[in-house]
Amino acid sequence: MHFLKGLVVSLLPFAALAAKKPAADKFQQFHTKALSSTPLKLDDTIYGQLTSAPRDYSVAVLLTALESRFGCQLCREFQPEWDLVSKSWTKGDKKGESRLIYGTLDFSEGKMTFQSLGLQTAPVLLLFRPTHGPHASADTAPLRYDFTSGAPPAEQIHGWIARHLPDGPHPEVHRPINWMRIIAVTTTLLGTVTFISVAWPYLLPIIQNRNLWAAISLISILLFTSGHMFNHIRKVPYVAGDGKGGVSYFAGGFSNQFGLETQIVAAMYGLLSFATISLALKVPRISDPKTQQVAVLIWGGVIFVMYSFLLSVFRIKNGGYPFWLPPFS
Amino acid sequence: MRLLATVAAVLSLGSTALCAEKSNSTKPLTSRQILPANFKPPQTFKNVNLVHIINLEKSYPKESINVVIENTASTAQDEYFIPFTSSQMETIGGFEVKDRKDPDSGLFEVEAVEFDTESDTQFYRIRLPTPLAPKAQQTLGISFSYLSALEPLPKHVGQQESQYLVYTFSAYCPSTYVTLKQKTEVKFPSTNVPEYTIVPATAGESESPQKAGSKFTYGSFGELPAGAVEPVKVRYEFTKPVIHVSRLERDIEVSHWGGNIAFEDRFTLHNHAANLSKQFNRVEWASQQYYNPPSTAIKELKFPLRVGSTEPYFTDVIGNVSTSRFRSNKREANLEIKPRYPIFGGWNYPFRVGWNADLKKFLRKLKTGNGYVLNVPFLEGPKQPEGVSYEHIELRVILPEGAENVQYSTTVPLVSVEHSLHRTFMDTTGRTTLTLTAINIVDDFRDRELIVTYDYPLLAGFRKPLVIFTAVVGVFCAAWAIGGLDIGIHGKKK
Amino acid sequence: MADSGSITESFFKGSSGRNTRGLLRLTILSLIAAAAISSRLFSVIRFESIIHEFDPWFNFRATKYLVQHGFYDFWDWFDDRTWHPLGRVTGGTLYPGLMVTSGAIYHALRALTIPVDIRNICVLLAPGFSGLTAYATYLFTNEMSTSPSAGLLAAAFMGIAPGYISRSVAGSYDNEAIAIFLLVFTFFLWIKALKLGSAFWGALCALFYGYMVSAWGGYVFITNLIPLHVFVLVCMGRFSPRVYVSYCTWYALGTLASMQIPFVGFLPIRSSEHMSALGVFGLLQLVGFVEFVRAGVPSKQFATLLRGFVLVVFAIAFGGLVLLTVSGVIAPWTGRFYSLWDTGYAKIHIPIIASVSEHQPTAWPAFFFDLNMLIWLFPAGVYLCFQKLADEQVFVVVYAILASYFSGVMVRLMLTLTPIVCVSAALALSSLLDTYLTIKSPTEPTDSSADAVNGTTASSKKAEKAAKQDGLRSLSKPLVGIYTTFSKTSVVSALTAYLLIFVLHCTWVTSNAYSSPSVVLASRMPDGSQHIIDDYREAYQWLRQNTPENAKIMSWWDYGYQIGGMADRPTLVDNNTWNNTHIATVGKAMSSREEVSYPIMRQHEVDYVLVVFGGLLGYSGDDINKFLWMVRIAEGIWPDEVKERDFFTDRGEYRVDEGATETMKNSLMYKMSYYNYGALFPPGQAQDRVRGVRMPEKGPELNTVEEAFTSENWIIRIYKVKDLDNVGRDHASASSFAKGNKKKKTTKRRGPKVLRVE
Repeated sequence: MHFLKGLVVSLLPFAALAAKKPAADKFQQFHTKALSSTPLKLDDTIYGQLTSAPRDYSVAVLLTALESRFGCQLCREFQPEWDLVSKSWTKGDKKGESRLIYGTLDFSEGKMTFQSLGLQTAPVLLLFRPTHGPHASADTAPLRYDFTSGAPPAEQIHGWIARHLPDGPHPEVHRPINWMRIIAVTTTLLGTVTFISVAWPYLLPIIQNRNLWAAISLISILLFTSGHMFNHIRKVPYVAGDGKGGVSYFAGGFSNQFGLETQIVAAMYGLLSFATISLALKVPRISDPKTQQVAVLIWGGVIFVMYSFLLSVFRIKNGGYPFWLPPFS
Repeated sequence: MRLLATVAAVLSLGSTALCAEKSNSTKPLTSRQILPANFKPPQTFKNVNLVHIINLEKSYPKESINVVIENTASTAQDEYFIPFTSSQMETIGGFEVKDRKDPDSGLFEVEAVEFDTESDTQFYRIRLPTPLAPKAQQTLGISFSYLSALEPLPKHVGQQESQYLVYTFSAYCPSTYVTLKQKTEVKFPSTNVPEYTIVPATAGESESPQKAGSKFTYGSFGELPAGAVEPVKVRYEFTKPVIHVSRLERDIEVSHWGGNIAFEDRFTLHNHAANLSKQFNRVEWASQQYYNPPSTAIKELKFPLRVGSTEPYFTDVIGNVSTSRFRSNKREANLEIKPRYPIFGGWNYPFRVGWNADLKKFLRKLKTGNGYVLNVPFLEGPKQPEGVSYEHIELRVILPEGAENVQYSTTVPLVSVEHSLHRTFMDTTGRTTLTLTAINIVDDFRDRELIVTYDYPLLAGFRKPLVIFTAVVGVFCAAWAIGGLDIGIHGKKK
Repeated sequence: MADSGSITESFFKGSSGRNTRGLLRLTILSLIAAAAISSRLFSVIRFESIIHEFDPWFNFRATKYLVQHGFYDFWDWFDDRTWHPLGRVTGGTLYPGLMVTSGAIYHALRALTIPVDIRNICVLLAPGFSGLTAYATYLFTNEMSTSPSAGLLAAAFMGIAPGYISRSVAGSYDNEAIAIFLLVFTFFLWIKALKLGSAFWGALCALFYGYMVSAWGGYVFITNLIPLHVFVLVCMGRFSPRVYVSYCTWYALGTLASMQIPFVGFLPIRSSEHMSALGVFGLLQLVGFVEFVRAGVPSKQFATLLRGFVLVVFAIAFGGLVLLTVSGVIAPWTGRFYSLWDTGYAKIHIPIIASVSEHQPTAWPAFFFDLNMLIWLFPAGVYLCFQKLADEQVFVVVYAILASYFSGVMVRLMLTLTPIVCVSAALALSSLLDTYLTIKSPTEPTDSSADAVNGTTASSKKAEKAAKQDGLRSLSKPLVGIYTTFSKTSVVSALTAYLLIFVLHCTWVTSNAYSSPSVVLASRMPDGSQHIIDDYREAYQWLRQNTPENAKIMSWWDYGYQIGGMADRPTLVDNNTWNNTHIATVGKAMSSREEVSYPIMRQHEVDYVLVVFGGLLGYSGDDINKFLWMVRIAEGIWPDEVKERDFFTDRGEYRVDEGATETMKNSLMYKMSYYNYGALFPPGQAQDRVRGVRMPEKGPELNTVEEAFTSENWIIRIYKVKDLDNVGRDHASASSFAKGNKKKKTTKRRGPKVLRVE
């Protein structure tokens, strides 16, 4: 920080000169700095100098709010990608032929800028194109990249910038190879293989156990048929509060649902089919008439009540549904 | 010339249906009588008095000429000629002549004659039933109508503007004979006639036309030589659609088993009114629907069907059109159809309507033998106040399978007739079909009837059941035989 | 009828009743077929015999082409009336099975001189085949269980299950109409072949597989399910000559058959979807070889050596496949198929697929809506399959899991789930009925018999032990039966009630949800009578009659097939969304300012533009509601000319009223939808009944297009693209010229952008 302050002080005369002298050296300044550490960490003053016209170079600034108290999830997701873009670009073009400077302005250091730009949201990515010089563009207003669909990958940002700076080199994005991950994967793989090979005699009966497989397949079927994939794809909330403080377990409307809701439904399905199974298989194997009678009544009752409840739940989801069973009507 | 005359005379002496068929089928336009190139109608008549009435109340001009003719030759004459331009000849339709003195003596035999295709003048020849003695007089009532002879002017009007039609004719009725006295009356649909030709006053006559409400009168004029013309052009308001059916295919299917007769009319309908000057505007249209002003658009078509018609349908190429009403009761059976969209000038709307009826109302069995008489309306198109004109009508009468010795008679002028077979619904030989073609017909002919007589032997009725029965039995036997075969690859184990 | 099925069983015991039973079964099956067909005729009875929503209109058109021009012309049919100006090699890019089927039926009937309209064949094809499907399900289920009532129940379920009816009502003339029958029947043949290990049945299976390939893209499901089944069997150590023979026959012949379809061509050996089948084929060869050798060589370690060898070769082969895929020799997964696994894929990369409503994931009410009680009988049935886990039961289990996953990911795949649900539900229900619907009860256990029973149980302890790891726990005790009539009657009556509710449910769903042609809309008059809103056909008929024979119509792709089928006019894009860029072009034209759209329309020779607008009637499926998809798809190609962001207000709302964004208000789609709309209402009262908002006082102005036709209820609005003016200047000056006439210059309208042609 102190270093920055000092740097700003040392730069101020430059900025003053820059008014009349063409700002080639200004670009050089920032570029050399960028080579050491890019994207440049800016604050209001540096931001001002960097983006002040006249400019014969272009600037890409990411206005972001990384500190956790702002709770800007997107900012934190996007930051590494942004660093990656700027690093690989600057590395790809050491001589600064593309005349492009990357900068990052965090809200904590750039409150005035945020206010002056009237920004409510972060992150915002601005691209200032040169105001004069060979590649000067007509409108001085910076281009704004809007983050519509989540944090974009570095390539997308690179493409966007490259599109708007048609001439000059566009160094490609180089993703560093993630050695850690590879190693981790391989070790785990080997580990499992060895474990299996060792524990095979014990695993075998478990694998060959019919009940296990039955359980697995039933559970997966119940999951899928109770709309679990919908939750997975649509990222639905687990539960939502109804207006007056309480919790509403069932989402209104035919084509949306809550996480808990699907679990309830799955449970109902499970219970119903379990009752059916026991009626079909277990009960006729009960040798004692009395117990059998009771079991029949119990399981039959369970099916009846559950089915009736299921119907009533479905009536919640689908308004005009006419059918129902007692007791839940 | 003479020979032809005698031939024709012999023909005309022949009796009823058969002859009617011939004389009908040899009527205008297709099979014309070619006369020597140097033909000139002999000046054997003179028109003593002639009244030419042009009726423009409908969407086509309907003309009628009442003329008193007198034989000026020394011998009895029976051929009277009327000239037309070749362009008129193309579109003229429903040419009929009868005796004014006794209208129910039936129609005279007329035919279009042509001596030179290049010539602009063609003739219709009227053959008087009895040759007219010298100095004798006779009163002819000649009526005909032109199709698509009316031109909208201006050609494009707005959605709510009123439309004006232009009609051109001759104040002097075209004739090949000297005319002593004549006048031409024009009946307009309304009194709004902004433009019309004025025939200046000549010696003896006052200036034409004299107006009486919506009726204009040119003449009367004095003696005029043969072929005298005085072109007159009138432009009058006609804010109604000009409905033109370029082709009508009409099927009439008779089923003895079902005791049912099925009608189906397939219309190719156009509106020849003035086109829209701007694009169609729905807001304007919707707003004017509350009070419906006269418009050049076809909103609705009314089919007054025979009482007792049932199960009507109204479809077009992409399926049923839901906007149709059918009112049926003891007295009437009205089918009121509304096209999918209002049909403005220059727009087209092909569609089909059909309905069923009880066969007993149309079919009679003859006392003797197994002959039947079928009596159906020749044309049952929409009945509109502004009139409908049909350029080409093809009527198919589909009789039951095995019907034979088919004969027919109608007073509608036909251009061609053919007998054929129509195979459907598991027919073996196919159903006897009679196809009649007429052109340039207007909706005045709506109530003309068509009488078809045919023989239908009892055995023919039982052909189809027998055929089907045998076929099914055959299939069963084949199945049984095949089922019996052993197509296994294994050796003779069993 | 289901109950009667099992009643007959309990009634006619003994060989004497066999014929009676056969006869009964036949009648029941035909009754089921009749029920299946008649329950699909709601729309025909309510409206008319008409082709339903969108895709069927193309199939209908193609069928008419086939019937008119004959088979060979159809096979190499280049259609220049779609995708103008590109055209489409229709013959090579469709699944001809459906058209050929109905064409064959048509010609057969014509040979009998029965004057049937091809339209009626197309309309009634799906119900007809649903009857066959019921029968196929019956056969399939009979292979699964010994109880004959199961088959009949399954057939009944299949006949009326809404999950299948949804795609097979009269008039929905789509590939699924025949595909589901083929699916089930192919599976039946496969099971048959597997059980008998006969090349004959395997060949039959391959034959019907070929038919299936020619009929529906969903054949990939079979192509992967059967190999999976075999793979599972091999893993369970159930390899046998039967498996070998049946699979190899099926694979060899089936692949050849499938390659005869131009659209499929060499995919079976080039694309990843088919690689599993190939891999399993190779694996079978290996295993077969090993088994053969082991049979010859008794030595133990040699066998293990061979097993190792097999594993190695398999691994190598698998690696090779992966390598080929990566190197691109084998096409990677196609987008639609891939999006089944990576569920987030479509939304990002192929918005067109994501935009189709039937590609959305399935919420649980949809399952219950389509399957009612079957959905909870389904797991029970699958569990029963574990009782005696024979090869065919394994198939049921595999099918069940796979299909339920797919149907969870994509709504339309509910179709593939329905058969197996019906089958396993029938299995469960039939075992219930067989248990509780028997006349004779077991005798009350007296003390002696009691301890006898105990004895038996004691003796069966060992069996229990044995069963522990093999059998199901619920089967450990010996079967006794139901004692009291009361429990029997109670259970059976409850089941009957459920079945009745099921039937009611199916009828209700079918009549309410699945029987609307969506070309014709029905509404109720105040007096309760039905009023038919026929705007679509009104406008299409107007186009067909009053525009030149090949006037190019631009509309959003949903209506392409209908315009082709009903209006018979060339279209720019249609529901066969094979060319994203072209669709994006239309999307751009719709979502851009007039000055941008006009050049695009000129370049594509557009004569008329058709938009669907429900604002007056409250018809929610209109273009303004689909607009965002047009924007997204266009943005995918021209990211910085069309931005979805610009169509949302700063507060992130999608508005059409006064508060709509400038971009929205200036977009061609918005203008065409609301042009002159205010004139219907007293000034300032204009109301959009779909969005439920009041429209701005002053409606939009149009310069480059003019209103040509608007249907009675304003659902369809057709605009004519103005021509260049007679001096023949370029469109820029022409449009500004048009503005000059209108005495109003809006500053931002100036300086038309030049079109970027990709």
